[in-house]
Amino acid sequence: MWSYIGKRIVQMFITLLLFQIATYILIDLQPGDVTDLLIGNPDITAAERARIAADLGLDGPLPSRIWTYLTNFYTGNLGVSMQQYPRPVSEILMTRLPRTFTLFMAATILSFWLGYIAGKFLAWKRGGAWEYASTITGVTLFTIFTPLLAYILLWLFARQLDSWISDTFGIDFDLPISKFNTPSLWRRAPYDTNTVFSWMNWNFFAIVMIILIALIVSNYIPRRYRPALRIGSVVLSIGGSLIWWAFISGVGLYAWDIVKHLFLPILTLTLISFGGNMLLTRTSMLETLREDYIETARAKGLPEGVIRNRHAARNAVLPVWTALVFSLSNTISGGIITETVFSWPGIGATLVQSVSVSDFAVAMGALTLIGIMTLIGHLIVDIGYVFLDPRIRIH
Amino acid sequence: MSTENVIEVKNLTMEYSTRKGNVSAVDNVSFSIKRGQALGLVGESGCGKTSIAKSLLKLLPDNAMIQQGQIVLNGKDMVPLPEEEMRKHRWSEISMVFQAAMNAFNPVYTVGDQIIEAIETHLPDVSEKDARVKIENLFRMVGLAPEMVDRYPHEYSGGMRQRAVIAMALSCDPDIIIADEPTTALDVIVQDSILKEITTLQDRLNMSMVYISHDVAVIAEVSDRVGVMYAGRMVELADTEEIFIRPIHPYTYALMQSFPSVTGPKRELVALPGEPPDLLHPPKGCRFHPRCPNRIEKCDQEQPEWKDYGDNHFCACWNPMEIN
Repeated sequence: MWSYIGKRIVQMFITLLLFQIATYILIDLQPGDVTDLLIGNPDITAAERARIAADLGLDGPLPSRIWTYLTNFYTGNLGVSMQQYPRPVSEILMTRLPRTFTLFMAATILSFWLGYIAGKFLAWKRGGAWEYASTITGVTLFTIFTPLLAYILLWLFARQLDSWISDTFGIDFDLPISKFNTPSLWRRAPYDTNTVFSWMNWNFFAIVMIILIALIVSNYIPRRYRPALRIGSVVLSIGGSLIWWAFISGVGLYAWDIVKHLFLPILTLTLISFGGNMLLTRTSMLETLREDYIETARAKGLPEGVIRNRHAARNAVLPVWTALVFSLSNTISGGIITETVFSWPGIGATLVQSVSVSDFAVAMGALTLIGIMTLIGHLIVDIGYVFLDPRIRIH
Repeated sequence: MSTENVIEVKNLTMEYSTRKGNVSAVDNVSFSIKRGQALGLVGESGCGKTSIAKSLLKLLPDNAMIQQGQIVLNGKDMVPLPEEEMRKHRWSEISMVFQAAMNAFNPVYTVGDQIIEAIETHLPDVSEKDARVKIENLFRMVGLAPEMVDRYPHEYSGGMRQRAVIAMALSCDPDIIIADEPTTALDVIVQDSILKEITTLQDRLNMSMVYISHDVAVIAEVSDRVGVMYAGRMVELADTEEIFIRPIHPYTYALMQSFPSVTGPKRELVALPGEPPDLLHPPKGCRFHPRCPNRIEKCDQEQPEWKDYGDNHFCACWNPMEIN
């Protein structure tokens, strides 16, 4: 197992290197560089521009520039931003990474889980209006143009639902349509947004870890206590966190502000991959239901719920888990669009911004970070598969 | 052998409804099995053997319907029972050894876990520890190492998996086990040892069995009574020795002729010409008449009666083989 993971990490590193070289070449192939922004300035002559380019190291041959970039990168120097000169790229990315990471994780987990549940029940109870409605919804969500979906959700939630809530209940819910926080609220806050947000992230991480550990431990305790441990870990970790934020932390109001800002971007990203996950689970589950071991389970007189969850769905999830690798890239590209639409200051928005002003180092850094995230996602999927399918376990 | 009937099947008729019409897969079949007795069902592919097996457990696909008849298991008719009730009788009273043992186990759980869940469902008073001891004993009984309990199905060979399937079928102490072609996928040597294992276990536990096979030799080895199926109907039913010595129905006779006898004199194997009928449009009268060498006029008009020929020997034929 560990040698397998070690091998995979070496592979990942090689892939990352190739990815960086390819990305560098692709960006280099784009016409123009940062000095082109000075072209309209009459004070700067062509000779002066060439000198600036030489100073910035933009004039060397491509291989030597790639070498310089890579050696700098692996010694921890990602360059400085041209747009926010002289802010280091690593600092920009590190402030923005948690925001994207949260968006990305929340959407991936939610869409996978919801798609799995929906697909499972659709395959179990076939036919009827539900099947048509869900298939049409699934295909629509799978194929829809992401910005269009984002704008539809904006209109539906931030405009229609918001005004309906304030008309009906007299509460000003104020669902935000963009950005990361409400500046007027945070002016009086004891901490800055990034601090509170990092607490939220650590809390989220802790919840996931507690549930994961409970799930693993539950396999080693007597059967009758298993559901109690599993459900208990979920209820206690989530309930405890909510209570802490609401009554003890003292920054519940500010956290709630961030959650409100997170809502629409997460919803958009979740819906994009939900359709595919649901349809795939459904198909996979229908196939599993035809397997012989399902008939064995029926013959054994097991209750329907056990056959559905323990036998059918447990196997149906395998191809969906594999497909998570593909949906990761989907979520990343969708994430860039979503961040741009909702002005969410994460890695995706940073990338789009930096590319539009030829801020080379930032673009390169953002792309590399996205590459690393994807590779880690792949690793997690691979390791998870080892746990899900005993047939590929390595002894 | 007691005289108590563990299962009694009376006039069982089961149909599959398809787009082209109804297919009568089991037509008016009756038989009963006493405690400790093994009934063999033999016939060509598609003659309704497996359909009978699935009807007994009521494990039918959505398009199949038991049209009439009774399946009386331990004095209780199973046919009118709703699914939820039926579920409780499965495995605890009637269990099954499947045709495709290779895929009978769920690949993601250990074999032990899959047997334990059956015990937990039907015998809730048995503790997990006792259940485990029970499974280990069953494994020893069927000739598997007790350590194999914690292994996954893919770590088993074909023969081992078949043994594990048998252990699973025994796990809830059923009164009757249906074995549907249990050895078809195995090589002859493993086949033989597993057959011996099953017959020993059956004697030891005084269990009833329904043995389903297309292989006359297998049926001869394991069963006390033999029912011969043709195109969804039972054409002959008698004690094993009796049916091999004195087949009455021409189809039974033809079936015996088409298998070599190991101990008897060498003889020419005779293949039966023609093919089993299309069950969407079964032939009128006796379903065997288009292929029957003994056909008389009446055969394509009227369905032959189920007649008692003495010595517990029943047959449905208008013009039986000469009885000597």
